[in-house]
Amino acid sequence: MSSILRLIVQRISLALIVLIGVSMLIFAIARLIPGDPARIALGPNATVEQVEILRETLHLNDPIYLQYGYFVRDISQGDLGVSLYTNRPVTTDIAQFLPATLELVIVAGIMMICIGLPLGMISARYKGQFIDNLLRVVSLLGVSAPSFVWAVILMLLFAYFLPIFPVAGRIEDTYVIKAVTGFLLIDTLIDGNIDAFFNAFWHIFLPAFALSLSGIGQAARLTRANMIETYNKPYIEMMRAYGVSPFRIASRYAFKPSLIPSLTIIGLDFAAMLGNAFLVEAVFAWPGLSRYGVAVILRKDLNAIVGTVLIISLTFVLVNIIVDLLIAFLNPRIRYSQRPK
Amino acid sequence: MKFYQKFKISLLAILVALLGYSVQASAGGTLRIDEVAVGELDPGKASDYADSILMFNVYDTLILPVQGGPGSAPHLATSWSQDGNTYTFALRKDVKFQSGNLFTAEDVVFSLDRMKALGSGLSYLFTVVDSATAIDNSTVQFNLSKTYAPFISSLVRLPIIDKKLVMKNLADGDGEMGDWGQAYLSQNSAGSGAYRVTAHNPLEETVMEKSSTYFLGVASDAPNTVRLRYGLEAATVRTLIAQGKHDISSQWLPPEVMGALAKEGAQLFSESGTGAFYLKLNTTKAPLDDVNCRLALANAFDYESVVKMIAINDEVSSGRAATGAIPVGMFGSNPVGQELKQDMAAAKQHLANCKYDAGDHTLELSWIAEVALEERIALLMLANFTELGFKGEIKKLPWALFAEQVSKPENTPHVSQLFVNAVTGDPDTLIYGMYHSSNPGTWQSPEYLDDAAVDVLLDAGRSVTSASKREQVYAGLNNRLMAIAASVYAFDRQSIFAASNRVSAPALTNPADAFGLDGMGFSFRLMSVKD
Repeated sequence: MSSILRLIVQRISLALIVLIGVSMLIFAIARLIPGDPARIALGPNATVEQVEILRETLHLNDPIYLQYGYFVRDISQGDLGVSLYTNRPVTTDIAQFLPATLELVIVAGIMMICIGLPLGMISARYKGQFIDNLLRVVSLLGVSAPSFVWAVILMLLFAYFLPIFPVAGRIEDTYVIKAVTGFLLIDTLIDGNIDAFFNAFWHIFLPAFALSLSGIGQAARLTRANMIETYNKPYIEMMRAYGVSPFRIASRYAFKPSLIPSLTIIGLDFAAMLGNAFLVEAVFAWPGLSRYGVAVILRKDLNAIVGTVLIISLTFVLVNIIVDLLIAFLNPRIRYSQRPK
Repeated sequence: MKFYQKFKISLLAILVALLGYSVQASAGGTLRIDEVAVGELDPGKASDYADSILMFNVYDTLILPVQGGPGSAPHLATSWSQDGNTYTFALRKDVKFQSGNLFTAEDVVFSLDRMKALGSGLSYLFTVVDSATAIDNSTVQFNLSKTYAPFISSLVRLPIIDKKLVMKNLADGDGEMGDWGQAYLSQNSAGSGAYRVTAHNPLEETVMEKSSTYFLGVASDAPNTVRLRYGLEAATVRTLIAQGKHDISSQWLPPEVMGALAKEGAQLFSESGTGAFYLKLNTTKAPLDDVNCRLALANAFDYESVVKMIAINDEVSSGRAATGAIPVGMFGSNPVGQELKQDMAAAKQHLANCKYDAGDHTLELSWIAEVALEERIALLMLANFTELGFKGEIKKLPWALFAEQVSKPENTPHVSQLFVNAVTGDPDTLIYGMYHSSNPGTWQSPEYLDDAAVDVLLDAGRSVTSASKREQVYAGLNNRLMAIAASVYAFDRQSIFAASNRVSAPALTNPADAFGLDGMGFSFRLMSVKD
């Protein structure tokens, strides 16, 4: 078995254990939230009899281990149950809301990489100069304020005072795009509708930027610190002595070794954005899974809570596996460590 | 050119391109409104405000509330008669569903049977109905198990479903009727209303289009398309209205935001006469098991200040000072001019007659965590009641926890704050659940009231069928509830909505056109929208 394959098998096995643990934990925790799920679902006007019938239907009167047994039986058939909040199968809800969140997080992740890493490089290259100080302040601002604060500030600046960007939804009402992947930026291209693509991009820009700001700050600061350390290495000194251009030194010789610690943080940030997306989704009325997750927690919608947390955990785990593989690809020492002794 | 200069120029270019692109965006001919909760499209499950808006536009009912006054008017029915516990309705023969199917008595029977079979939403309103029978295509008969005077007004909550269409779309389920069309009706409309659903995502929005075949016709300036959006944040709604991309806000926008929009030129729509805000007193817990202590609190409460707290601006408020237990506009209410007022002298007099010493008791003043306004009202109560010598403790309770705690009198706080509405516009659906001794310990009845005179009057309100006699019964009930101070009747609720100037909605602006039923003011066919 090759070292990369061995690494993949090892990571997937660990991921399965993590997911089973998460499912047991969230199944128990969801039931500790105060309130009767049946009463909350049926609303204040429901009679005691109606509430009792729903409790029976949901097996809420059974012991928790039996309830978990029913859950495992159903999930093995791909059934996460029905959401009491939307009255639809949880799998239908997740299939509808997950692509919107993934699209938002992926675009935010791309922004984090495409803006954060160059900012770190520039900062390191011009260490101690005006541009470095300025970028450090910008990075610090990004890290220090939570995403939803940025979401409101950006909305006020670029939608309220300067009406440049839209404030709600994924695309203008006038466009009808056939859902193929659920990712509007891709579906509009599949549809061959360039105008709709730009409209979707125009809608996603502000929420994705608000979501990515903290990551941009972190990526920039980390890249700067790592690159400054790398710049002090003798081989960089040698490159300078050979007359290699500063841009080439920065992009080819200083950046790659500095990328490995940044990549770990970017991976974690990327996964964390799935959770942080909630408030940004709320501010920009983005119909995503994070907003759905919080709504179902507030209504103690047990099936939907477990389904949402499992999907977010699965995405978190997958992103971490991908990051591990990327690091192994960039750092041969990790690949070699997987070889059989 | 240095690298970071290239980067700066690229960023600027993207911003300029986006600015240019934004100019192209426009919206017109569409009414855009929002509500907080998800929209339930299934008539058998619909219950809250967003659902009501959907039901009143997508489906029709046999009767409608009279505009500008109490009572019911024919709608899909042309007339009705009553013989004991049997009601017979003559139906219109010229109504077609949006599918093109003709409306018949079979559809009425199916709609009732379905609602009772599902047992969700507002089905409890029809537990008293034993059966419905189609006498012929245009006559339907309801047989009630006992006299129930509010039955006619309850029919406003029985949306009539296109039976043929639903039967074609039954999915698997227990019994002959499969899933009763639940899967289909959760995503599609099957009504005869003025609007049909073209897209429905319960967490995002419902899109409705004007129906060209509506039996009453729809004015050409009524909105062609309506987008009902769910769960928008206050900041988002404010920005959208300022951008001209939203037309009517939900009533849940904070008063400050509503006021700011009004200052910027937005209209303020209102809907009232269907509910009130109550400070519910736990009548089983000392010192509030003594009526004199309750009356002391009722007299000590500052009714004027609470109305100022919920004011949007100098002219408009989210409530009016209450005149009694029943909101102004309903059967039995006290008229405008008899508003309740703080009277500390009377409060002290009542306290002197109370068997408890105020200083010995700490009152638990709860507020529902999801309703920020209630914290301020709790503080007002604390100030008012400590003036009498009571000690107070403010308790923040999430709704779910509150609903659980009130199931036992010993866990129920001394004072619970609640908005309560009449789901049919009849006072029975407002106060029976709150004050009849057969319903203790629900979210509506944390008073645990057990008063024989109140029970007799509430039962009479159901059994007396003459409108004038019902008026007398509820007036007597109002007086009794005031005399025993089961609750502090804080204010009559008035829902306020901020709206752009391109919308005209007489049912939300002119009392003579108002329906007196929550959500019915949003009958889109009666609105007009400028392009």
